[in-house]
Amino acid sequence: MSDLVWFDQAVLNALSAIADNGVKSAATGFSEMVGRAVKPGKPMASLVPILKIPNYIGGPDDDAVGIYLRFDGDLEGQVMLIVPYSKAYELVDLLVGEKPGTTQELGSLEKSAMGELGNLCASFFLNSLAKSIGASFRPTPPAVMVDMVGAILDIVVATTGGVDEHILLLHSAFADEARFIDVDFWVIPDTKILQELLKKTTSL
Amino acid sequence: MKDATSVGLGEMAISRNPEDVLVAFGLGSCMGVIMLDPLTHISGLLHAVLPRAADGMEGADVNPFKYVESGIEALLTAMTKEGANRTRITVRLAGGANMLMSAGMTRAFDIGTRNIESARTTLARLRMPVVTADVGGHTGRTVRVYVAESRVTVRVIGEKERDL
Repeated sequence: MSDLVWFDQAVLNALSAIADNGVKSAATGFSEMVGRAVKPGKPMASLVPILKIPNYIGGPDDDAVGIYLRFDGDLEGQVMLIVPYSKAYELVDLLVGEKPGTTQELGSLEKSAMGELGNLCASFFLNSLAKSIGASFRPTPPAVMVDMVGAILDIVVATTGGVDEHILLLHSAFADEARFIDVDFWVIPDTKILQELLKKTTSL
Repeated sequence: MKDATSVGLGEMAISRNPEDVLVAFGLGSCMGVIMLDPLTHISGLLHAVLPRAADGMEGADVNPFKYVESGIEALLTAMTKEGANRTRITVRLAGGANMLMSAGMTRAFDIGTRNIESARTTLARLRMPVVTADVGGHTGRTVRVYVAESRVTVRVIGEKERDL
């Protein structure tokens, strides 16, 4: 925890404000891709105990689709979008421009469409963040997993859990008025690098 | 039957109560290690996250159940302390999947395979044979331990529970 003491409530509030622009930008991209107004939830920056992560979205046994990518450059980190399985078919219908009820399975085409959505949301968010803090990032191609929430989130736990007991989680959600869309959006930056960047480039 | 006891990440549970069901939900790269003493029905389930503590991270204040290596040792100690006979204890393994199929990310982040290796190495050192294992692959698993029957099941997405 000692490394994360610097991220006190004032810094977390400031990070939430920085993330706000990124999330709005990602929601704009999302809306254009699905042809429907998608609203972002208010982003929250918080320190989360790593071992409790699988309990943050529904239950760890719930079926879901996870869209995951990493980024490196001036800042490193991970991006994860989680879609409840029950909403995934509807989301694919919107993404590929089909009538509701058309999609009946999640094959490679459907996963590819969801991967593109993850790619787009992450890129919009990261571009906005890059402008805010004067840095540049390169995202990897997305990986799409259809599995239990716990198993999907194991990736975040396993890749960060060796060092810290907590992670810095930037969390928001995307939804539309008809509730066809229900997507959790997580960004988990490397805290050490982020701390150095913020000290250099902002008044935090 | 009462509600199942959920064993979260970096946790362990032991029971000899026949009404108990121990469950680890959604194991991805994490390892589920199950120890059973069929005579006393003392049953233990470990939900470990990483292969072993990083150098310099070991110590009294570190949760042993977070790691496969120290978790197995601590589970065995807890089982025998509860009254299980070490020579009767059987071990089953589940989990250790590699969740990432995307090019470029697969190898570097394959914690699952390293967790399996750590479990097998640790158990071999402790001279505890593994009876059955459902490990590796690319899917998550939910593991249940039915204490009354000393029975273990695994479920993957879209499928029914099956015996391990």
